[in-house]
Amino acid sequence: MADITHIGSRARSKEAPRHVSGRGQYVDDLSRPRMLHACILRSPYAHARIISVRADAAMKLPGVRAVLTPADIKALSQPFKPGRYAAGLRVPIAEYASAIEKVRYAGEPIAIVAADTRAIAEDAIELIDVDYEPLPAAASIEDAVADGATPLYEELGSNVGWQGKVSYGDVDAAFARADRIVRESLKIHRYSSTPLEPFACLAEHSPERMTITCNSQSPDVIYEALSEALGLDAVRVRVPDVGGGFGQKIHLIRKYAVLTALLAVKTRRPVKWIEDRSEHMMAGGHSCEQEFDVEAAVKADGEVIGMKIRDTDDVGGSVSTLTIHFTNKLNNLFNTYTVQHLTLEGRSVLTNKCPVVPNRGIGKPGMCFVWERMMDRIAQELGLDAIAVRRRNLIPPSAFPYTTPNGNIYGSGEYDTLLDKALKNVDYDGVRQRQATQRGLVARTLSGSRGEPDKARPTLLGIGVVIGVEPGGRNAARDMAIFPKSKQMPGAGGVEGATVKIEKNGSVVFTLGSPSCGQSHETTAAQIIADVLGVSPDRISLATTYDSALSPWGVSSSNSGNNFHLYDVGAVHGAATRLREKLLTLAAHVLKEDMGRLTIEDGMVYVGRLREAGAKSAASGPAVSFAELGKIAYSNQAQMPPGFEGGLQVTYFHSHPHADPLMLPDSEGRVRAQYTFSSAAHAAVVEVDVETGRVRVVRYVIVSDNGTLINPAVVDGQIYGSAAHGISVALGEGFVYGSDGQLLTLTLLDYGKSTTLETPHIEIEHHPVPDPFTTLGQKAAGEGAAIPSPAAIASAVEDALSPFGVKVRDLPLSPERVWRLING
Amino acid sequence: MTRAIALTVNGEQCGGDVEPRTLLVHFLRDQLGLTGTHVGCVVGECGACSILVDGALVKSCLMLAVQADGCAVTTIEGLSTPGALHPVQEAFVNRFGLQCGFCTPGFVMASHALLMRNPNPTEEEIRRDLSSNLCMCTGYVQIVEAVKEAAVTLEQWRTSRT
Repeated sequence: MADITHIGSRARSKEAPRHVSGRGQYVDDLSRPRMLHACILRSPYAHARIISVRADAAMKLPGVRAVLTPADIKALSQPFKPGRYAAGLRVPIAEYASAIEKVRYAGEPIAIVAADTRAIAEDAIELIDVDYEPLPAAASIEDAVADGATPLYEELGSNVGWQGKVSYGDVDAAFARADRIVRESLKIHRYSSTPLEPFACLAEHSPERMTITCNSQSPDVIYEALSEALGLDAVRVRVPDVGGGFGQKIHLIRKYAVLTALLAVKTRRPVKWIEDRSEHMMAGGHSCEQEFDVEAAVKADGEVIGMKIRDTDDVGGSVSTLTIHFTNKLNNLFNTYTVQHLTLEGRSVLTNKCPVVPNRGIGKPGMCFVWERMMDRIAQELGLDAIAVRRRNLIPPSAFPYTTPNGNIYGSGEYDTLLDKALKNVDYDGVRQRQATQRGLVARTLSGSRGEPDKARPTLLGIGVVIGVEPGGRNAARDMAIFPKSKQMPGAGGVEGATVKIEKNGSVVFTLGSPSCGQSHETTAAQIIADVLGVSPDRISLATTYDSALSPWGVSSSNSGNNFHLYDVGAVHGAATRLREKLLTLAAHVLKEDMGRLTIEDGMVYVGRLREAGAKSAASGPAVSFAELGKIAYSNQAQMPPGFEGGLQVTYFHSHPHADPLMLPDSEGRVRAQYTFSSAAHAAVVEVDVETGRVRVVRYVIVSDNGTLINPAVVDGQIYGSAAHGISVALGEGFVYGSDGQLLTLTLLDYGKSTTLETPHIEIEHHPVPDPFTTLGQKAAGEGAAIPSPAAIASAVEDALSPFGVKVRDLPLSPERVWRLING
Repeated sequence: MTRAIALTVNGEQCGGDVEPRTLLVHFLRDQLGLTGTHVGCVVGECGACSILVDGALVKSCLMLAVQADGCAVTTIEGLSTPGALHPVQEAFVNRFGLQCGFCTPGFVMASHALLMRNPNPTEEEIRRDLSSNLCMCTGYVQIVEAVKEAAVTLEQWRTSRT
């Protein structure tokens, strides 16, 4: 490889100039001749039987070109095959792109209209007449599993869609030798990353091919869905700029791709459908509400020797993602700790709420919440310091590479150092001193004595320090750990490609196998190519965003699973390395030199180290430029070496060379759920207004190990954004349902998304410990800080409220809920 | 039923026939093809559709196209000059003040409006002002840094001109 200069630098963003100029190209920015606009009729009921749907009046509205009712959709399409997250179903359940006989959540699609304008399509929706027979709605886990609850799916017999268990080590023996059993019940609510661009699809059908342009994070899901539902062989999926993903745009979007495609087939015209905000809030998919009953077997010195966790997941009104939040807990099941004996029991309960989807970490924030809340609770019960209890259980640096009892292999980590640095950066001792002073003031104020004038509204200071791993690079066989007999092998390990091409003029273009949702993939990949090929990033650009007909994609070609750092980076590095070999082969022939004597710098191939000796151009010594080599490779066979394949283009598919052992689950259910493990310590300092319950985050400090940093500014952005989301989740954002299953938070304001005012200034220190198994030592950065941050805020708020002796067991910590904690 | 409107957009005379119910943002996007102004919520919460109307910051999903009749509108496409980004745009690039880019035109316009009113805002003032807009990607840190950098650049511009 050429000398590294661009990897590790804050290289200028290649994507940003077009976005700041309004030149981004999102699905809704695209238009086609004779294009129609679609709008969807959605269920007003959370649970109801559909008696009839009459669309005559809608069809008669001028400008309406097609209406598809449940009967049409059933006749024109096939149900989706159960994917890896529905493999645990006891009986097969056909799920179509819309509701067919029943609706199971408010907002479930029922019918879709195509019209000349969006406004006409919206008018037409109001003219569709649906007769419903409302059914009792189960709006909570409790309602859904109660005796006599109306089942969402009669064929399942109950609303428990799946239950199962994984167990590692000898948990009973560990509990038998424990000094103490610490018990706690914990809960995480429903939330979402609410990407600012809602779902969007543009379908174009011709006798030759169905082309769908949509903002999918996992185009593979769309590709499969269109093939399955429409029986189409020739499908092309294109993904332009995507206005944020975070997991939201992986699964449910397939329904809408199919509905839009059906309209394109029916009308023989291009059809565009753009979801609106309220549609997205009620039906775009939520992160799962999760309830945990936890027991920890501990020794008197704080060592955790065993853990039993019962996890109940409220998966909403669909079976398609039945176990996704359960299986993702396998990824960080042991967090940063050495415990060897653990049982995780799972139960997926169907409710009349929005189906659940992946969301920035999926089950991992819940798993980290369990661990970090328990560490605090264990410390409290044993009378120990909470940070000391964590340290007692950390995997030590000497143990790496470390294999967790469920088969994950952690390449590297320095967890103690992360904690040390976080404590130093947050001035832990100073915070404790201020806290003591402040508590004295508040005690006097609350007891009626006069405090200082500016202490009229008493606030309590609290600090929470937590640690967590961030798994990266998905193994497609993970879910087989709980479904070893599944006939639907979802794949194994990972495969992902990249193409790098030196153009005839010496510039470089490349294509990645996966779409980007704003994580600076073009910038980062260009830095790698620049260093490998020896050419300025200014001369490197992305040839096209994802196009299934052009992009070298595989099972890992998904803007999810923290995949980019492992698969895309490996693929683009591999393709560039192979292209460099090819380029040097040609250059050696042209220069009549031994390949080993050639040096590349800034788009020129030199003989020896002439450039460093002072030669500034090809004229001063034997040299050949990329442009000259490009001209030969594409147009002059006479100057090529014998047997040389023309062109300067390489496609390379990367698979993790260290995917074994445990790529496939063994008989004990051990499998490598993911392949790399970043880690971070978070320290949150909060002030709680005792009168209003409002929590203000005063400082938020992160020390993060993301391995080798390719672009620190990009990684910073991922950490800032994921932390801000986790903090907002903890502080109050979330979906709220009425007991009738109606969503009460249909807008971003009601939902409670944090703005610039509530979001703290987040401070980051990088502590990179390179991964021994990845291409450049890199680890993941994406889901990142969304995993530990809810736990950090919970810890800090509990610490602040310790004078009241309250326990934080549930999120969110909205003012109302904190006030209730304070006031019993 | 439509109504004819005439307005100035990014310095050019524009017009069109619009339904009375057509929102300004949809007129700009669908009839003028200025797709840099985005729709994230259509109820004035997210700010992705922020533009300037007669110099004032407006969420163009909260304004009907007919209300803009006779007005001077500036959208994100009108901020830069050929070959050069506006200092606010440049600062957002330099500071990685964006990720997916969907909220970015709105944040750039809102930041531009802020710096026109208050050329040297504190971090607190920046955060208070930009709470009109939502970004789901960045956690706002690099956006705030970008606004600070833009303020410095604009100050240098003013100084060098006088």
